Amino acid sequence: MRHRLAIGAWALAGLALAAPAFGHGDEARDQAPPARADFVPPAPGTYTLQAIMRAPAGTVVDLDGRDRRLAEVTTGKITLLSFVYTRCSDAWGCPLAYRVFDAVATAMERIPGLRSRVRLVTLSFDPRHDTPAVMRQYAGEQAARGIDWRFLTTRSERALLPLLEGFGQDVQIPAAAGGAAAGPLTHLLKVFLIDPRGVVREIYSTAYLYPEVVVADIETLGLERAGRSTTP
Amino acid sequence: MATFPRPLVLRALLALALLVAPTAVGPARADETCNSPYMANLIKGQEDYLYVWTLGKAGVGDGSDKLVTIDANPSSPRYGKVIHKVSVGGRGEAHHMGFTDDRRFLWAGGLDDSKIVVFDVGTDPAKPRIARRITDMPKRTGYVGPHTFYALPGRMLVQGLSNAKDKGGVTGMALYSNKGELITTYAMPTADGGDGYGYDIAINPQKNALLTSSFTGWNNYMTSLGKLVQDAEAMKRFGGTMVVWDLKAMKPRKVLAVPGAPLEIRWSLKDGDTWAITAAALTSKLWLVRPGASSEWEAKEVATIGDPAKIPLPVDISIRNDGTGLWVNTFMDGKTRYFDLTNPEQPRQTYEKVTGKQVNMISQSWDGTRVYVSSSLLASWDKAGADDEQFVRAFKWDGKELSPAFEVDFYREKLGRAHHMKFGTRAAKAAYQAPLAGTR
Repeated sequence: MRHRLAIGAWALAGLALAAPAFGHGDEARDQAPPARADFVPPAPGTYTLQAIMRAPAGTVVDLDGRDRRLAEVTTGKITLLSFVYTRCSDAWGCPLAYRVFDAVATAMERIPGLRSRVRLVTLSFDPRHDTPAVMRQYAGEQAARGIDWRFLTTRSERALLPLLEGFGQDVQIPAAAGGAAAGPLTHLLKVFLIDPRGVVREIYSTAYLYPEVVVADIETLGLERAGRSTTP
Repeated sequence: MATFPRPLVLRALLALALLVAPTAVGPARADETCNSPYMANLIKGQEDYLYVWTLGKAGVGDGSDKLVTIDANPSSPRYGKVIHKVSVGGRGEAHHMGFTDDRRFLWAGGLDDSKIVVFDVGTDPAKPRIARRITDMPKRTGYVGPHTFYALPGRMLVQGLSNAKDKGGVTGMALYSNKGELITTYAMPTADGGDGYGYDIAINPQKNALLTSSFTGWNNYMTSLGKLVQDAEAMKRFGGTMVVWDLKAMKPRKVLAVPGAPLEIRWSLKDGDTWAITAAALTSKLWLVRPGASSEWEAKEVATIGDPAKIPLPVDISIRNDGTGLWVNTFMDGKTRYFDLTNPEQPRQTYEKVTGKQVNMISQSWDGTRVYVSSSLLASWDKAGADDEQFVRAFKWDGKELSPAFEVDFYREKLGRAHHMKFGTRAAKAAYQAPLAGTR
């Protein structure tokens, strides 16, 4: 594992330097890569990621339009999950999550052992618009990249709500005068790191969403699972 | 409630100063520029509501602690009026509040009963309601006196002031999920110069830094001032440190000596800035915390607030969104002071105004043009008689002068003692709330 960590550090050095290159026309999503942290993250395995909560149960829909239990994609591997909606144009919202996921995917390709143990999940909270076909387009070449990156949606708002409530993901609509809904959806970007047992172990938002930190946390969970954590 | 003739309070505070041990205090993060960096939906335009966590007082209304909602939008016909109140039943020394990261819930604590009340301010921001209560913090964590409520993504970090074993100042932080479930605890450091005390929390994610400050324990903050100052041993039990934590690891990185009870901590919000400022209550000093030349964190005294010999007692502070200015309330002289922070190494006071006979908390709008001041410090530390004004006063700030906008007299309205203030908005609503009710 030490060898893997060393490689990880090397690989991460290049993570933030290469912007993803996908030809699906989403300019916000394909902007410059996320900023790098202004600090050196503590070494993987030297700290504890607390058990925050259990990932909720529910039903999602895959790119082929098939119903899936959410637990299928929140257990068995270390999972990084983010809610998005494909129409989001806030560079600090869904597009940032996409770019960070892309950087983590790059780490999965470069760091031995990560590819088979880590899963990425991009889940829409806009089921009316984000059909499986739309999500497939959003996924672009990522779906064929050879890493476990799932693009999912839900059948309806009724199916979505327990997931939002369970994860504590807010989704809002700006209110016009008189309280009527106006404008696009808004949300606080959250990315959830889930261990193989389906327990949320870290939640990132825009203020702390650095690929190198995320990968260090993934490696920490990997060390923990291998019984080699150095935390007290 | 214990009350004191003002001279006695003054003598007591002077005694505290001579002992270089802190004193009264109770403020905390107040305003839109002083929220957790993880918080969503900052109100950068006009706030609609002012939520005021209010201490109950026997004989005033129902006598219970309550959350008071004031209409703060000048375009509203109810501007400056109390439009809602939620009594929690009983008095527990209501003190500070903090929003969850999604701003849907407002956590509020009692320093005496150690109970936490979680208000739902998302469903109907004009009419907050109690969503849940957390009543077992001392039993589950060993800590008492939940003071600062600091949002982390999906979680709430709560700073205790004391402990359940001896109710002294050694304490810690408790981490809860947003659903109110205890996740873990973090003891304040007692080694390498740490005194184990706690008060405020402030995070700079870009530096992976969490700062804490220090006050005193339940035995002291719930004791009347006159009695306290005559207890030499008790007077030694005040904090004089700040701690820099590794945020990711949640481990103390360095203990900084900051004598005189460092209280509220404000990071500059300006891009690229990596400094924070705090006010030491007893010594009446501003301290700057930043990485030094060797990148080691350092604390440095940078300014004096008023005349320390007169014990103005700085309480709450509020920083401008660009880090160029700082409001400082001083409780004893009732002054609201403005410091130019253009050079944070040398803050300069450029304005002051008496805004009340006693003032504690201060909150400003994101653009700095609206400033709100409240009156209460702690039930047993507030002034007595005619000096015991209890209010929220709103002002307009044009960069030169604070001009009165509205005032709510909390005694006349039979509310109690006005303490911590937070802003509310009706600018957004949950996207998927309606479908649950079957209306969409």
